[in-house]
Amino acid sequence: MFNRISTHRVLNIGLCATLALGMLGTAAAQTTTAAAGTSASASSAQTPTGPGSAGAGRAGLASGRPRTLFNSGDPTLTLTPPLGGSRGAPPGSAPPNPDPRDFDGVWWLQGYEYLLGPAPGVPPPLKPKYMKLLEERIRAKNRGTPEADTETQCLSHGMPRLMESPYPIEIVQTPGRITFLHEVAHEVRRIYLDRPHPRHVRLSFLGDSVGHWEGDTLVVDTVGLDDRPFLDDEGSAHSTQLHVIEHYRKTDGGANLELTITVIDPVTMEHPYSYHRIYHWRPDVRPQEYICEENNRNAPVNGITVAK
Amino acid sequence: MSGAGSLGAGGKRAGCMGAGGKRAGWLRAGLAAAALVSVLSVARADPPDLSGVWSVVHPPHALRTLDGALPPLTASARAVYEEHLKAAARGDRSFDGMNRCLPPGLPRLMLVQEPFEILQKPKVLYFIFQLNRLPRRVYLGEALPTDPDPHWLGYSVAHWDGDALVIESAGFNDLTVLDDAGLPHSEDLHLTERYVLSADGKRLHARFTIEDPKTFTRPWMARAEYVKRPGYEIPEEVCMDKFLKPRAAK
Repeated sequence: MFNRISTHRVLNIGLCATLALGMLGTAAAQTTTAAAGTSASASSAQTPTGPGSAGAGRAGLASGRPRTLFNSGDPTLTLTPPLGGSRGAPPGSAPPNPDPRDFDGVWWLQGYEYLLGPAPGVPPPLKPKYMKLLEERIRAKNRGTPEADTETQCLSHGMPRLMESPYPIEIVQTPGRITFLHEVAHEVRRIYLDRPHPRHVRLSFLGDSVGHWEGDTLVVDTVGLDDRPFLDDEGSAHSTQLHVIEHYRKTDGGANLELTITVIDPVTMEHPYSYHRIYHWRPDVRPQEYICEENNRNAPVNGITVAK
Repeated sequence: MSGAGSLGAGGKRAGCMGAGGKRAGWLRAGLAAAALVSVLSVARADPPDLSGVWSVVHPPHALRTLDGALPPLTASARAVYEEHLKAAARGDRSFDGMNRCLPPGLPRLMLVQEPFEILQKPKVLYFIFQLNRLPRRVYLGEALPTDPDPHWLGYSVAHWDGDALVIESAGFNDLTVLDDAGLPHSEDLHLTERYVLSADGKRLHARFTIEDPKTFTRPWMARAEYVKRPGYEIPEEVCMDKFLKPRAAK
C-alpha cells in the first residue's frame, strides 16, 4: 500500500515540480488550442525559470536562503529549491484592467515555494510535535519514499497551498461572489461576499470562504478546512482549526495582484504568521484542461484498487 | 451604441411631425417606429441571463432520440455498445471511466444528477459542475479550433441565436461513453447544444444534436430539461475522496 502510493507521489511530484514537463504530461491537455492561439504560445512561453536560472529562484538563493531545514546543512533535511514561476504578460498583450475592484481575468503566481513559512526556506512556526513531523516528511522525501498527501492522490491541495500553484488561476466576479478557477486539478474556490460563515461548517478541502472589501482590498476569511492536506509541499501540518485570512490588492495599474496570507492554527502552530505573494496579470493565457485522475494509474475500478 | 443613435434621430424626427403634412407625418411616424423597433431589438439583444444553479430534471440512464428510439448506431459501434451492455449486466463497468473519477465527457456531463452552476459573462459562460468540481468554459463569438488536441470535455464555442444559446463542441477524446449504458463515440464527435430559457426563467430547455459519422449513421437529437435551484450552494465534491478510508482519529 505504502509503496504503491509512494510511487505515485513521485510521479506527481515530477509533474508538479517541472512545469514544462507537467504541461506536456497532462495528456496533451496543456498544449494547443488553435482557436485560443494565445494559450499555446503563452503556456510554452512562460516555462518557469528553475532554481538555477534567472528569476525569483536565484534571487532567493543568492540572498542566502536556507537549502536545508533550519539551515542545518543536514543533507537528509534538504529543501526542494523554489521555481521561478510566471513572468508578467508578454509584450503586445491586452493592457491590464485598472479597476481596483475588478479582479476578473487570468493570474499567474510569480515564484513557487515548497515550504510556506514566513520567509523563503523558513518553516511555519510549528509546535515541536509538528516540526518533528515535518522533519520526518522531508527525510522521507529525500529518501525517495515521500508520504502521499492529498494532492498526490488527486484529492485537493487544500488551503493555503492551493494558492501556491505553478498553474494559472482564473478569477470570475459575479454579484455576491468571487470564484477562483484553478487550472491545477480543476479546483474551484467559491468566495461568498453576501453571507457570513455558516454556524456549522462542514469540513472540506478548501473550506468555507467569505469575503468583503476594505477599500480596494479584498479580504477573504476561510475556515472549516479538512486537516488531511499538507499545508505545503514539504509537509507542514495543519489542523481543522486552521484559519486562513487573505488580503488581495491590485497594484501597478492592474498588472499585479498582491496577496498577503495569514495562517492561524492554534493546534499545530506556536503563533500566527503571514507571507506575501504576487500574481501577474496574464490576458494572453487561457486555462487548459487538467485531469489529475488521468495519470492516476492506481485509481480504483468498481471501487477496488487494482495495480496496473 | 447604434440603438442610442437611432433613438436620438427618431426623437428628432418625431419632434418635426407637427410641422409636416399628413403624408410626411406618417412617413416620419414610420421612421420613428422603425427607430423604436431598433431600440427594442437592441434591448432584446441583451442575452437571456442563464446564471444560477441548475439540475437536470430526469437524468437519463440511456440516451434516446426524440422519438424514444435507440440512436442510429453503425454496425461496428453497435457491437461495442452491446459489449458494454453485456459487461454491465455481469457487473463489469470498467468501460466507464466515471468509476475512476475520470470526466464523463459531453453531453453526459450535462446529464448527471448532480447540479451545476452557470457563471455568465459577455464573452465566456462558465459551467461549474458539482460532480468532481469540473469546470467547462464556453467561449462566445469564437470559432472551434481546426486541429485540436483531444480533450475530455473537448472545446466549446457559442453564439446567441435570438434567445437561444447555441453551443458547438468538438475535439473530444474517445475515452468516454455518451451515457451510463455505455453508448460509444469517436474523436469525431460533434455536439450542438441549444438552450432556451423558459418565460418564467425557472426552466432551461435543451436540445442536443449528436454527429459522429464513425459511430452513427446520421445526426440525431436528444432533449433535456433543467430546473433552476435558487439558494442552492454547490458543496465541495472531490470524486477520489469516496475511495479513501475514513479520516483517522487524531
